[in-house]
Amino acid sequence: MRERPWGWNPSGRRRWGITVLFVGHVGWVFLGQGSAVRWQNLLGILSRPSQAVSARIEGWKHARGQRIGDHARAWAEIQVLRQRVEYLQSAAIQDAQRRVEADEAVRLLGLKQLLPLETRGARIIANLRRAPFGGMVLDHGEDAGIVPDQGIISPEGVVGRVWSVVHKQASVLPLDSFNASTAVMLARSRATGVLQGVGPGRAEIRYVSSQEVVQVGEPVYTSGLDRVFPRGLLVGYVSAVKPRDVELGLEVTLAAPLDRLHLVLLLSPNPPMQVQPPSEPVATLRKRSEK
Amino acid sequence: MSASSTSPTFRHLLFVLLTLGGIYHAAPWPTVQAVLNAFLVLGLAPEFRSPLVGAFWSAAAGWVLEGTMRAYPHLGGTALGNLTVTLLAVWVLAQWPPSQRKAFWARLAALAVVHALLVHLAVRLACGPHSWGSGWLWTLLTVPLWGTVAFKLHQPLYRR
Repeated sequence: MRERPWGWNPSGRRRWGITVLFVGHVGWVFLGQGSAVRWQNLLGILSRPSQAVSARIEGWKHARGQRIGDHARAWAEIQVLRQRVEYLQSAAIQDAQRRVEADEAVRLLGLKQLLPLETRGARIIANLRRAPFGGMVLDHGEDAGIVPDQGIISPEGVVGRVWSVVHKQASVLPLDSFNASTAVMLARSRATGVLQGVGPGRAEIRYVSSQEVVQVGEPVYTSGLDRVFPRGLLVGYVSAVKPRDVELGLEVTLAAPLDRLHLVLLLSPNPPMQVQPPSEPVATLRKRSEK
Repeated sequence: MSASSTSPTFRHLLFVLLTLGGIYHAAPWPTVQAVLNAFLVLGLAPEFRSPLVGAFWSAAAGWVLEGTMRAYPHLGGTALGNLTVTLLAVWVLAQWPPSQRKAFWARLAALAVVHALLVHLAVRLACGPHSWGSGWLWTLLTVPLWGTVAFKLHQPLYRR
């Protein structure tokens, strides 16, 4: 016997079930419009575990995003600081030369105030001492009234003398030149001699009797006999004493750092042989002159 | 699809329950919910030997999804769309049993589009205009994934 499609048999019941389910939903959608609050609240209560897990995951994501943001900001700040450090380093390198010259100028000014001589500052614009027939070149010449054989000193010691002068420049004969001769005297024995250059930063004293007692490390000053430098300016220190038959072989290490000089003082031509250094501090002298 | 037997296999039922639980617990992630809902409606529910059972689970998935999403003031639209598409999928399976996986994917993709349109139409009828979201797009993009699972785990009736 054939089953009726919509009869009370398994197939018919299934059809009726589907129809009721479908029509019920259609009716609910079109006609019901019931509030969803209760059903949502029920499911909301049941879904609390998953919401807790979700909250943890979202919190982790938020913290991670914050960490990434902090890291990015820190990295950007590091980049800015790195650029700033590089800028400061380059500026420091650029300013180093000027700082050296400024320090040198300060010391030079101090020396100028201490010396009771008429002096003039000059800048060394070229230092060619290491080159064959080289020397140092100053930025002043005949236009500034410079003449040959003016003494040149630095805060550390005697540098040399003016060798030749042109309109706006002057060349310097340093103490360590082979053809440089300077009248000097030893600090303790007061023995006088002639300083002659023998090489970079070194010189030797000639014409000192072998009977003189000279110690290594003894200061060497100008004697003033050559009328280029006044008496008492530091030239260098005795570095070696070699006894010979007639005269002592005295090697001298020059006090002035000839390779590193930028600013020097030019003494006036034909300075007095003997000058008296001020016995009082410069500041006291200045106050007295103001009164 | 034969109507001679009404009892689904235990594995099939377990799989549907797991997917329904997934829809429920994936409430904070609506995209995941949409993909799981499409998988249940198009991949699992039509495989029940009884279309009534499939329609029932399909409607249940719709109610759970809407209830946990808490986005609509009036519910029922998704359930209506789900069970309608499930019945359509049952009919399509009975008329044209799939033989190849890629063809099955294509059919599922087409049914997913129909499902998305029907669900949104029903939801619009139930509670008015609403946002579409990106769930339908992710559903289409993941058809090869859940379509393969459906094809492997639950063989069509003609292959049983």
